Amino acid sequence: MNLLEVEGLEKSFGGVTAISDLHFEVPPGLVYSVIGPNGAGKTTLFNMLSGIYKPDEGRVRFDDHDLNGLLPHQVAQLGVSRTFQNLQLFFNMSVLDNVMVGCHLRSHSGPLSGALRLPNVRREEELTEHWGHEALEFCGLDDLIGREASALPYGALKRLEIARALASRPRLLMMDEPAAGLNDTETVELRALIRRICDAGITVLLVEHNMGLVMQVSDRILVLDYGSRLAEGSPEQIRSDPKVIEAYLGGEVQYAV
Amino acid sequence: MSQRKGFYLLTLLVVLLPLLFPDNYFVTVVAVSAGLNAILAVSLNLLMGYAGQISLGHAAFFGMGAYTSAILTTKFAWNPWPAMVAGMILTGTIAFFMARPVLKLKGHYLAMATLGFGIIINIILVQAVGLTGGPDGLGEIPTLSFFGWQVDTDLRWYIVIGSCMLLVVWLALNLINSRSGRALRALHGSEVAAEMMGIDTTATKTGVFVMAALIASLAGSLFAHQQSFVSPDSCDFFFSIELVTMVVLGGMASTYGAVFGAIVLTFLPELLVVFEDFEVMIFGAILMSMMIFLPQGMFVGMQNLLQRLTHRRSALPGEDPNEPA
Amino acid sequence: MWDQILQFLFTGVTVGATYALVALGFAIIYNASDVVNFAQGEFVMMGAMCAVFLYSGSGLPLPVALLLAVALTIVLGMSFQRFAIARARGASVVSTIIITIGASIFLRGVALLLWGKDILAMPHFSGETPIQLGRATLLPQNLWVMGGTGVMVLAVHYFFHHTTLGKAVIACSCNRTAAHLVGINVGLMMLIAYGLSAFLGAMAGVLVTPITFTSYDAGVMLGLKGFSAAILGGMGNPMGAVAGGLLLGLIESMAAGLISSGYKDAIGFVVLLLVLFLRPSGLFGKASAERV
Repeated sequence: MNLLEVEGLEKSFGGVTAISDLHFEVPPGLVYSVIGPNGAGKTTLFNMLSGIYKPDEGRVRFDDHDLNGLLPHQVAQLGVSRTFQNLQLFFNMSVLDNVMVGCHLRSHSGPLSGALRLPNVRREEELTEHWGHEALEFCGLDDLIGREASALPYGALKRLEIARALASRPRLLMMDEPAAGLNDTETVELRALIRRICDAGITVLLVEHNMGLVMQVSDRILVLDYGSRLAEGSPEQIRSDPKVIEAYLGGEVQYAV
Repeated sequence: MSQRKGFYLLTLLVVLLPLLFPDNYFVTVVAVSAGLNAILAVSLNLLMGYAGQISLGHAAFFGMGAYTSAILTTKFAWNPWPAMVAGMILTGTIAFFMARPVLKLKGHYLAMATLGFGIIINIILVQAVGLTGGPDGLGEIPTLSFFGWQVDTDLRWYIVIGSCMLLVVWLALNLINSRSGRALRALHGSEVAAEMMGIDTTATKTGVFVMAALIASLAGSLFAHQQSFVSPDSCDFFFSIELVTMVVLGGMASTYGAVFGAIVLTFLPELLVVFEDFEVMIFGAILMSMMIFLPQGMFVGMQNLLQRLTHRRSALPGEDPNEPA
Repeated sequence: MWDQILQFLFTGVTVGATYALVALGFAIIYNASDVVNFAQGEFVMMGAMCAVFLYSGSGLPLPVALLLAVALTIVLGMSFQRFAIARARGASVVSTIIITIGASIFLRGVALLLWGKDILAMPHFSGETPIQLGRATLLPQNLWVMGGTGVMVLAVHYFFHHTTLGKAVIACSCNRTAAHLVGINVGLMMLIAYGLSAFLGAMAGVLVTPITFTSYDAGVMLGLKGFSAAILGGMGNPMGAVAGGLLLGLIESMAAGLISSGYKDAIGFVVLLLVLFLRPSGLFGKASAERV
């Protein structure tokens, strides 16, 4: 039983095909990576999976639910969360508030009871704050709790996006280039974090350009080229796939593994 | 300054003013206007400061509340309380149906749509003479009474409006620090990320738009009964602009800032009266220069300055935990 | 009936021409500096008030008074850019809106102080003998407004598309940094944009005042209408703004004549809302794709 199934997905923008006849399955509990050169359609794919774009054709199923036609917040309700390639943090809020927004789907109080600050709201606030702390701790951000998000260095912001997504306790976490802009130490920490997320039972769908990271952390890899599937398999299979080496890596690049 | 301490301070101020300066024109008359403006500014700040949705037509909702109360009590002899509720229902319904198409827009376009909406409502108030009294307005609106306690003196109005303002401020503070308030602020920070965290951004925007309209309508009804007179001038385009200025002047996304801005902008014209013919010009110049030199608003600007000073002092003995990296 | 409609058409085109000039000024400033200038209507008022004052107050010949008034308004527009807008670079949308509204209140205050609250008149440029077209009449001043607007719109079009200076202004509006890097004096281009915009406003003011009269608060509604017209036509497209102005003038004049003159102003804004809801890029603007 797969967690995510994509069948015959198509998307074009004004005549330019971004994704064509794409199909793949993500089994639960894995780190599943999507790689491909710039413009291969990776972010478009993510935007379709999370409900931001509507596919022209094809079907996306998540854990027996059809995602077609759902809005992003409805997709999120099913247990999908994501991070963004260009940071989409709430820079007008504190670090803790950011992850507490992540807990939105785990709490229920409405505006009226919130405005009146009823006792059950107060309890829920404490609980949310606790969850927020948990998520920050999980991502190694606990010492930054009191800060404003706008005051954080870049590497911490990247982790804050992951913490916020984790705070919603998703079953599928989609990460769009989490290592972009990180230095080597931070990338090593990120690798450990991705493994920890996976070990916590959350399936990870990863888009990443850092091949070292992808090869080390992934259980399976999908290679996209011009919006269609070039290859799929374990890191070893991908590494030795002549099609991949030919088309994507140009046959000369060595992995830093 | 923590939120709660700020609230105690504001309450203290509201209670002390009439005790220290009884029968003072600025307390019993101007401060009542300031209180009404503060209610409006706080409600607009929820929409504009926190949720990031500009509105240049907020006075229209104020006008709807004021006119519904005025018309129902004078022409149909309704009791003021149900009239007030009717005003809120009417205003809320109109706001609800406006919200969807209007809040799809952003930036200048949103500003223009809300402005156009406000002007249309104002023109209707001027033109529908049979119902609204046209440009001359409606007078002889009865005052409020609480179980026989007639609100018929300036001081009593001060008490009513002061309490209402404190209530609205308290509700706004609570709301902003609740789950729904975080959703509002998140929407401002990044709409797409807010959606991805499971927030229905369309519903949230509609909700805050309607809520701001309801509070404005309530303020309008209070205004009508307090003045016992309403005219289209009291809810025209310029008043909408004044409300926006209050919010921005105090500092966006700060409830106390909105209160502060409302107080400053209510008292400023009163003080400028001494300049007679120069009044309008000076008002414009002050508006411009404050926005140029204090873009984050007076209240928030001062608050940040204060915070920096106190932090520097507390940081001396050990390491400052809030020092940015 | 048809004569009546012809009459509404004349009125509509005359009023629309004024809106078109204000809208064009709006669009120029918006495109050059991303500022929605709520003081645009005040340029119209200032041009008209100065002209009236210079003509009847100081007894200058009419053409000289008009030229001086327009020149003064241009200086005003440039000072506004230099001393207010340029100083508030990087301010938020709301802040710039309040700055321009502050400027508009300020200018109104100045006019009130200098010339009082009276409604002022100005002589027609070339007599008031009506021209009879069927049963509709047209004043020579109507022709002045239409002709003057036509000439200025063409001149602006030529300026932006066929002169180096005009192209440099466009370059700044596309990308400030890049324009600066290729050696364009961005500050100067902004001054030119505001000066040009003030010029168009002042011209609209002096052309139309013989017909409509003027007063210290005449700019407010004109400014808002010009803004509506600019959005109607599409903010990103100056010629669209001109078309929007003419269209709005026609719609208003038809609505005033055939439906109700009291709701004339409201109809303009209803049209504005409909455009914003159904086609926010304006009737003649290009729809822009949104990217996440």
